[in-house]
Amino acid sequence: MRPLFSFRSARWGGEKMAARWLCRRLCQGSAFPVSYASRITQKQCFLPHSDLMGARLAGSHVDTQEPKTNPLISISDEPETLYKRLSLLVKGHDKAVLDSYEYFAVLAAKELGISVEKVHKPPKKIERLTLLKSVHIYKKHRVQYEMRTHYLCLELKYLTSSTAAVYLEYVQRNLPEGVAMEVKKTKIEKIPEHIREPVWDTLPQVEETEVKL
Amino acid sequence: MAAPMAGWALRAMPRICPAPSRALHATPACLKARAARVRVGKGDKAVTYERAHAPHHIAHRKGWLSLHTGNLAGEAGAAERAVEDAFLRRFLAGTFPGVLADAAVLKRRANLLVVCAVLARGLPPAKLCFLTGYAETLLTHFYKCPVRLELQTVPAAVPYKYL
Repeated sequence: MRPLFSFRSARWGGEKMAARWLCRRLCQGSAFPVSYASRITQKQCFLPHSDLMGARLAGSHVDTQEPKTNPLISISDEPETLYKRLSLLVKGHDKAVLDSYEYFAVLAAKELGISVEKVHKPPKKIERLTLLKSVHIYKKHRVQYEMRTHYLCLELKYLTSSTAAVYLEYVQRNLPEGVAMEVKKTKIEKIPEHIREPVWDTLPQVEETEVKL
Repeated sequence: MAAPMAGWALRAMPRICPAPSRALHATPACLKARAARVRVGKGDKAVTYERAHAPHHIAHRKGWLSLHTGNLAGEAGAAERAVEDAFLRRFLAGTFPGVLADAAVLKRRANLLVVCAVLARGLPPAKLCFLTGYAETLLTHFYKCPVRLELQTVPAAVPYKYL
């Protein structure tokens, strides 16, 4: 089974901790079912970092000169794309499943330090079909079916592309069966060179000719 | 039945009063719904929770047996999933003949197909292991996606009601 998304972390700033523990969780096997107890203990291990470093290397034969590089993490110098808004629209037939998924996604965003702008539930859509009840004739006797689609909209603001990749991979690997997700990303870009200055400032000054009467 | 006998006896006599009918049919037979319902009988038929409830109880007292995104608004592939489900249920019925205690639940997570089935303890564990491996490998090669079979054994099929 090929992985759904390639895992990439470009900038090491504030996302170092989050990316590291998350990549460890993903490296260790299937991400679901997520056990929060084991994740919290892993997070606590990082806090007394200096103490543990000495204790861990004292008895082991780790080569301290070569830093351990995780093959899943790649560092590049290109600037990250910034997202103003990441909009997740989650669709499902069962409202209880969507409520539980909302709790999970919001908790994951808070743990990764992503600010949640809005969580709202658009109204459900019902698709109704009226079919003939019998295989042959009996036009007056029909049967009606309906398919209900409940929605959940999650809007996150101000993410970098690596944070978005990490969050989306985690949240999509744990998507329940029978639930679909649509993702919309709003990118922040620099104003192009040719419209940075107003056109009337760039044109050469036209000298006013005096009209002699 | 008493009514036709009484009618036959009265028909021999000259008609004084019409034969009383004790059979009351409130609805003609063609108007009743018969879909996914087990009709009430003598009381000897053991029926599981899943089969005892009619389809209008789905999402209220019952869950879904097949979980996929094909029937959501704006999603495609409902017909393909339905065909796959039909084939999978027939395949399971053939691979575990007489041992299936209840209908299998089919779950689709991304590429993965998880088949959750409850079996009665009719076969020795070694044979069950072989059959699960056989089913998983064959279905994986047939559908070109990972197929996982999650089985649970119970002493016997659990009856909810006797109809």
